[in-house]
Amino acid sequence: MDYNAMKRRQFLKTSAAAGGTLLAGGLMSSPAWAAYPDRNIDVIVPTRAGGGADRLLRAVSSVWKKHLNTNFEPGFFPGASGRVGYEVYMGKYQPDAYSLIFGNMGPEVLNWAVKAPSFDINDYFYFGRVDTDPGVVFVGAESKFQSIDDIIAEGKKRKLNVGTSRLAHPASIGILALGEEVGVEFNLVPLSGGKKTVAGAVTLEMDFCVLTSGSVIAAGDACRTLLVFDNKNLAGDKLSNAPTMNDYFGTKLPPMYSARAFGIHKAAADKYPDRLELLQKTFKDAMNDPAYKDAFLKSKGFWPYSNYGGVTECEEFKNAMLELGGRYRSLLTGK
Amino acid sequence: MDINLAFFVELFFHVLGMWWVIVPSILLGLVVGAIPGFSAANTIIILLPLTFLMDVEVGLVFMIALYCSSRLGAGIPAILVNIPGTAGAAATPLDGYPMAKQGLGQRALSISFVSSIIGGVLTTVLALVTMPWLARVGFYMHSVEMIVVMLFGISLIASVAAKDMIKGLIAGFFGLMIGSIGADHVYATPRGTMGFLELYDGVPLIPALVGLFAISEAFLVIEKGTFLSKTNVQNVDNASWKETIIGVRITLKRWYHITWTSMIGLIIGVIPGAGAAIASFVAYQQSRTFSKTPEAYGTGHYEGLIAPEAANNGVTAGTLIPLMVLGIPGGATAAIMMVVMQYQGVPTGPRLFTERPELGYGVFMAMLVTYLLMAFTILPMSRYMSRVTMVSTTYMSPIIIAFTLVGSFVPREYMFDMYLAFAFGIIGYIARKTGYHVAAILIGVILGPLLEQYMLRALKMSDGDPMVLFSSSLGNMLWAALVITLILPAFFKRRRQSKAVE
Repeated sequence: MDYNAMKRRQFLKTSAAAGGTLLAGGLMSSPAWAAYPDRNIDVIVPTRAGGGADRLLRAVSSVWKKHLNTNFEPGFFPGASGRVGYEVYMGKYQPDAYSLIFGNMGPEVLNWAVKAPSFDINDYFYFGRVDTDPGVVFVGAESKFQSIDDIIAEGKKRKLNVGTSRLAHPASIGILALGEEVGVEFNLVPLSGGKKTVAGAVTLEMDFCVLTSGSVIAAGDACRTLLVFDNKNLAGDKLSNAPTMNDYFGTKLPPMYSARAFGIHKAAADKYPDRLELLQKTFKDAMNDPAYKDAFLKSKGFWPYSNYGGVTECEEFKNAMLELGGRYRSLLTGK
Repeated sequence: MDINLAFFVELFFHVLGMWWVIVPSILLGLVVGAIPGFSAANTIIILLPLTFLMDVEVGLVFMIALYCSSRLGAGIPAILVNIPGTAGAAATPLDGYPMAKQGLGQRALSISFVSSIIGGVLTTVLALVTMPWLARVGFYMHSVEMIVVMLFGISLIASVAAKDMIKGLIAGFFGLMIGSIGADHVYATPRGTMGFLELYDGVPLIPALVGLFAISEAFLVIEKGTFLSKTNVQNVDNASWKETIIGVRITLKRWYHITWTSMIGLIIGVIPGAGAAIASFVAYQQSRTFSKTPEAYGTGHYEGLIAPEAANNGVTAGTLIPLMVLGIPGGATAAIMMVVMQYQGVPTGPRLFTERPELGYGVFMAMLVTYLLMAFTILPMSRYMSRVTMVSTTYMSPIIIAFTLVGSFVPREYMFDMYLAFAFGIIGYIARKTGYHVAAILIGVILGPLLEQYMLRALKMSDGDPMVLFSSSLGNMLWAALVITLILPAFFKRRRQSKAVE
């Protein structure tokens, strides 16, 4: 037996097999030929795990994954009012439509108006809005203010302290706009977070506070809502049947929402328009799926706030926030 | 439903019947409390889906037992290996670790456990009785009053620096400077972040804590090659159950000390946003001020260990009061409990006590039962736990460094925080080698940002008028108390000296 020939044949066979395997592997892993999506999609969340965004993301992704036929892997990057998450997403993730950001278009876009990030804010865009939660004016249960008129009347006598979770927040913009409308100057006091803002109202340290309605609803009887920055008070008695600003004062202010939405690199959309199209279509299907309502309610979401929006609605909202942020920039930055 | 003694007795036995939830939760809480970076809050978040599946009563008892035991668990590594796993345990190693280094780890653990349990039981009972009135504390303790409370804690810098005032004050000032890193609390303008986004929200506490205390200690241990001297090794080796009993006796003798320091914890705990770190430093400072032997603090003084442990366990009952009575959570764990209660359709605030009194009072009863059961479950462990100090430094130092680095990573899951812990370890090491007190740095790091936050809030509310600091009656009373507290040690010292001369 020619052992050398045997070895040579074996070597050639093995090499061919290995080469074939490598080639097949290479082809399979190549994004150009593969059907999208062939792996999990990373979702960057710029807030902490366990919070409202986490719960909402789980509700959406539990249904969306069936329509898109892949799983979503959340990664939480809290800090700097959402800046860290966006910087990580824009700086460290490839623009290949295998990574998305799940942010809050209200306060996070206002951040850019106050201080620009390290990337161009047009290098990403939102394509799928999940919910809209309006800002509200509220007081603690023991406050002497019973209505928004009481606040305005008092505001004409002295400068009132208004607690807010942070200056660059849609609800802060709302109250500044109200002040402008009625000729009253309010002193915004940032209290570093929703829970502290509720505490500021309940313990009467602040004259009144402004915040996203979800946190106020969660506080139950401890708070009383006096005004809603939306076109309609969708929560009714959960928000003390408070009037809306536009109805009550005849203004034409855009709703001051916290609005959670999925965003994507612009470069990914330009390079892989078919992938974006699939993401948009399946996201919309998921939002219309009856299973989504169940998942949303299970996550203790308030169903009337579930509010699908596509690229156009998101872009309009983003631009409105940037415009309002620009208008009140000096008040928000102290410069 | 009548709320009378019979109701409370029945409730007590009803909760006691849930021992099968409480005991495993205690064990879990001790483990997560002892691991740096973990806490009751993030453990409950991880186990949230499980909690949602439980009956609301069982879920609440589970969370309460975990909460109380993790607070107690955080003291274990703080005493034995100088790793305060949470900010609430940051004052514990000041006297706990020197005891462990003297081979008295078992006694120190026993003192820590008993003072925690008694402090917890006392404040829980007090909370049950005085809840409606205690809840009002938050209505009076606003930013101005909190500034003074912070200053009580910060004045501790001067106390720990007593041996070398200049170096102590430099260390404290350095800590305050580090504490001011991050975005300011009003306009969110970043300061001193050196371009790191990870520092935008300020220096994260856990990496600072474990770096300054534990990693620097591990470096020193590597250098010395031992935790304990030969004599002290023998002390640990010869220790029997008697050591635990001695610890119990020492603590019981100081029941009065436990009572008032745990009250400090309870009252500070009731204030929304304040927490165990403030309470334990303030309690330590107060304990030292009124001590007959203030110079012994920091060298393994029993009262220096009792004060922070009793206080931080007093906080546990305190943080639940605003949640239960007003519907506003007093701390992170209380906030998660609120989510669970809302998920189960249980109201919080005044309605809780009219619609579901068994749950409202049951939460505090669960706390009481947990503390009582802990007395039987944890105290016997002190003998075996203290043996940790006997482990060879060849193994122990790398384990400490590895654990602390992982602990630094856990809260935010940033690699950056591991590097930061290491950097703080080096700072701590240099500070120790050059005679600067790391505790003084840490007090600045922990309390500095809180002081700044309250100060800026008060100034923002007054349009920048500094006289706002003296605008409230309660605040002015606290200012007076602060001045007295600062003068008293000098007064006591002079009196002791004159007595000694006589």
